[in-house]
Amino acid sequence: MLIEILQQTINGLAIGGVYVLIALGLTTVFGILGIAHFAHGSISMFGGYLTFFLVTAQGLPVLAAIPLALLAGILLGLLVEILAYRPVRNANHINAFIVALGLTMMVEGLNLQLFGHEQVVIPTGLSKVFRLGGITVPELRLYVILAAILLVVAMMIFVERTKTGQAIRAVAENRDAAILMGVNVKTIPLIVFSMSTALGVAAGIMVGALFAIAPGIGEGLVVKGFAVLILGGLGSFPGAILGGTVLGITESIAAGFISSAYKDVIAFVVMILVLLFRPQGLLGRAP
Amino acid sequence: MNKSLHLLPWLLGLAVLAMLPQLITVKYYLHLSILALIWVIVAQGQNLIQGFTGYVSIVQAGFMGIGAYASTLIGLNFQWPLWLTMMLAPLITALFALATGYPSLRVKGHYFAIVTLAFNLIIVIVLVNYSELTKGEAGISNIPKPWGGSREAFYYLALALAASLTLLAALIARSRVGEILLAIRQNEDFVAAIGISAWKYKLFAFVISAMYAGLGGALYAHFQGFINPEIFGVAQSLDAILAVILGGSGTIAGPVIGAFLVVFLPEILRFADSFRLILYGLILVLATIFMPIGIVGIAKSAFARMTRRGGQHGG
Amino acid sequence: MPNPKLTRACAALALSLVAGTALAAEKKLTIGVADALTGGGAVYGLPQANAVKMAAEEINAAGGIKVGADNYKLDVIAYDDKANPTEATNAVRKLIDRDGVKYILGFCCSGSTSAVASFIGNEKAVMLVGNAAERSITTKKIPNLVRTRPPADYTGQAAGTFIARKGQKRIAVLGALDVGFYAQYVDSVERELKKAGGEIIAREVFSLKDRDMTPQLTKIRGLNPDAILVVGYVEPAAFVYRQAVELGMKIPRYGFTSGSEEQFLRVTTSEQMEGVWDLRPTELTLLSASKNGVAYHANYTKKFNASPSPSSPYAYDQVYALKAAIEAAGTVDNTEAVAKALRNLPVPSQVVMQYQPVDGKMFDSNGQAYTSNGAFQWQKGQWVFVEDLPSDSKAYSQFLSTLN
Repeated sequence: MLIEILQQTINGLAIGGVYVLIALGLTTVFGILGIAHFAHGSISMFGGYLTFFLVTAQGLPVLAAIPLALLAGILLGLLVEILAYRPVRNANHINAFIVALGLTMMVEGLNLQLFGHEQVVIPTGLSKVFRLGGITVPELRLYVILAAILLVVAMMIFVERTKTGQAIRAVAENRDAAILMGVNVKTIPLIVFSMSTALGVAAGIMVGALFAIAPGIGEGLVVKGFAVLILGGLGSFPGAILGGTVLGITESIAAGFISSAYKDVIAFVVMILVLLFRPQGLLGRAP
Repeated sequence: MNKSLHLLPWLLGLAVLAMLPQLITVKYYLHLSILALIWVIVAQGQNLIQGFTGYVSIVQAGFMGIGAYASTLIGLNFQWPLWLTMMLAPLITALFALATGYPSLRVKGHYFAIVTLAFNLIIVIVLVNYSELTKGEAGISNIPKPWGGSREAFYYLALALAASLTLLAALIARSRVGEILLAIRQNEDFVAAIGISAWKYKLFAFVISAMYAGLGGALYAHFQGFINPEIFGVAQSLDAILAVILGGSGTIAGPVIGAFLVVFLPEILRFADSFRLILYGLILVLATIFMPIGIVGIAKSAFARMTRRGGQHGG
Repeated sequence: MPNPKLTRACAALALSLVAGTALAAEKKLTIGVADALTGGGAVYGLPQANAVKMAAEEINAAGGIKVGADNYKLDVIAYDDKANPTEATNAVRKLIDRDGVKYILGFCCSGSTSAVASFIGNEKAVMLVGNAAERSITTKKIPNLVRTRPPADYTGQAAGTFIARKGQKRIAVLGALDVGFYAQYVDSVERELKKAGGEIIAREVFSLKDRDMTPQLTKIRGLNPDAILVVGYVEPAAFVYRQAVELGMKIPRYGFTSGSEEQFLRVTTSEQMEGVWDLRPTELTLLSASKNGVAYHANYTKKFNASPSPSSPYAYDQVYALKAAIEAAGTVDNTEAVAKALRNLPVPSQVVMQYQPVDGKMFDSNGQAYTSNGAFQWQKGQWVFVEDLPSDSKAYSQFLSTLN
């Protein structure tokens, strides 16, 4: 039993790590720009698809393809911000939401046109499995978890230790005060979108290597990402990290011990319960 | 503006819609018009919570599903007459809306949107997996249709319901309740500050909007004769939101126009083949950027500009 | 009261029309396709639409469809239904009402197909269903509907017998059990297992978008089953096979996925697949393919620059069945006669799948066709046809007739 719980926890960590990265991207955009960036999942998957394409069709090594995909993903993210989100920045937030929906359709359609409807898996050649006692962890899964941790730490350092990072956090926590303090709120959206998309594409590559990219997968991830935001508290970085990990492990434990058919229901019920008793989320500050 | 002038476009529109079955020779367009009228009801409901109260709910299709399954399953299991099950559908939906509205409305803004979205996902998962009752993903066929499946007759049923529920929405909007809902949209803290318990009004708007969806869902079931959970997924809830936005949020005519748009636009775009998704998304983005107040909003401001100019000329 | 003048005028008009058609021997017959061309169902729908277009071109190149003195060339209109019931209804309404199409093919996916099947009986049209496997589509005795793919439980029965014969008693199931026809497959397997004293000890579920099956597999591993049975779409199912190996499970693996080598090797290594059984309709695999199948594979690959999905010939065969039925009925306008001819049709020689006719006919009285079922095993990088699964199309056909 103990081994099974431990194994299920480890099982949940990989997808939990993906949720964390997606949620961090969503929460920075949301906290700073107030946009529910629905297209985030599809753009992340675009990056994953592109990595696949560079590796399989162009013969690039995976490690060379990743930076190129990150760069292309960031460019697409910036394009989206400048062409689509910026014009509705000061309008009703529902309008930005609709723009996000329209963008999701467009990017999903673009992915379909460019990469087809068959699922793709980024080939890594990593197929070893580590076994310890009764616990098994495939090496690829371990690297994905480690990469997620690494990225989260890198982002925390960026946000805590650099001037730009601190400005971003200041705007996320209190936009008006940040403007008063003289933070340049014009360039910050561009930095934020680059960072958020980079995290998203990283998540897309992880999904593409460990699992698969297929039509609709990105949209599903974005919904989970928003659930994480609610669990952890909108705009809270530590909340996104905790929320994503909790959601990943909850799903795994729920599927293993309660019901695999209703595992998503259980995850959402946990989210709703948290909201009922702690409306600001696990780590959000009381409004 | 005097009252008779204000009613004129409505009466004209109604007259055109009433004559439509005679004007349409290709039945495919009649089919789409019936779907659009059903969507008018759904969108009017969505407008109450989204347009007037300012809370974007992403569970409207889920509520349609509850209405559709309620009417269908009661009819199939108890052999109750169709008109009775269709009347029960919005009431049963209201019960679900009360249960989901209470926790959802404790939170605001995007939180509310995402919680309602979670409810929509939960509704679909339960409809799929509770197959002893719902027949699961395979769906329910041969749902009874009124008047032996005559599309003309059904068109007038849908038109009558859409028209009267649009009227009801207008009456709610003009009542004291409607004023309070608008006030909540503009400044909820202020509403609370003057001693009105805003949550009651929000819950009212949410439940009424769900009842509209429940009736729309029941109509859908008895029009198509087939339902399965997929029809009531998040994508369709997004269509309800789009109908309100494209037509004109917080107006009475907006959801009517928006409903016709979300039904006809994807059909018109069939020529685009595999680019349909991209094109549909592009239209949404461009429409929101360049006409954020919806079609009705644009028409109104154009009309206002015209009458103002006319007034200057005269004066 | 008949007006003699009018009658005469009509007769003259009719005569001139007949004369006109006799002269213009070359005519056009438009057939429609409603299928998932985008979205998750496109994996099945797009190859089906391609297959219909290819068959139509072949038929045109070979001279078209001969009806009396006329020669009809086929023209294909394909609409996307996104595998969605509302979209499918709209697409078929457009085909029938606006485009005047009488013959509608394709139909990969059960939800959208059931929606159309629910009203097609009232239309002057003929509906030919392909890959959609939900059983109830052919239990409603819709006279103008036929289906080329057999229902899943027809195959499940054969699969259950096969597993029982292998001697495993405690079977754990992991599959897309939220999808009706996969659940029906498992029900049939369970019936056969019970007859041999076996049982199904777990029914775990994955959804179409799930790719991480380790939670379900960890649970199953804890139950120590004799074998695992994987039923579901190939995209998620491939992950079950891979992750089962990664979790160190060494029990026999049976499946009902109909995935091609290419689809599995995207996800797994060949070693991870070694020994896996797929118990399914024979469908299109090169190793078991007939001469038609090999040619189909080559032509499709050349034309569309991708290999055909194993289930795509269900749609290809629809076109040849329709051609034969129209020629047998001697009319393109009388859909009732064509629908009747479909149900009296011997299996045309050009079809790709290996049909098991019932009383010499391709489609039984329910409008259902049956292909043979086979046990395939993954051996050294590919599916190898090992044996025919015992399947009795006539008995199943009678069983299907008793359902409602």
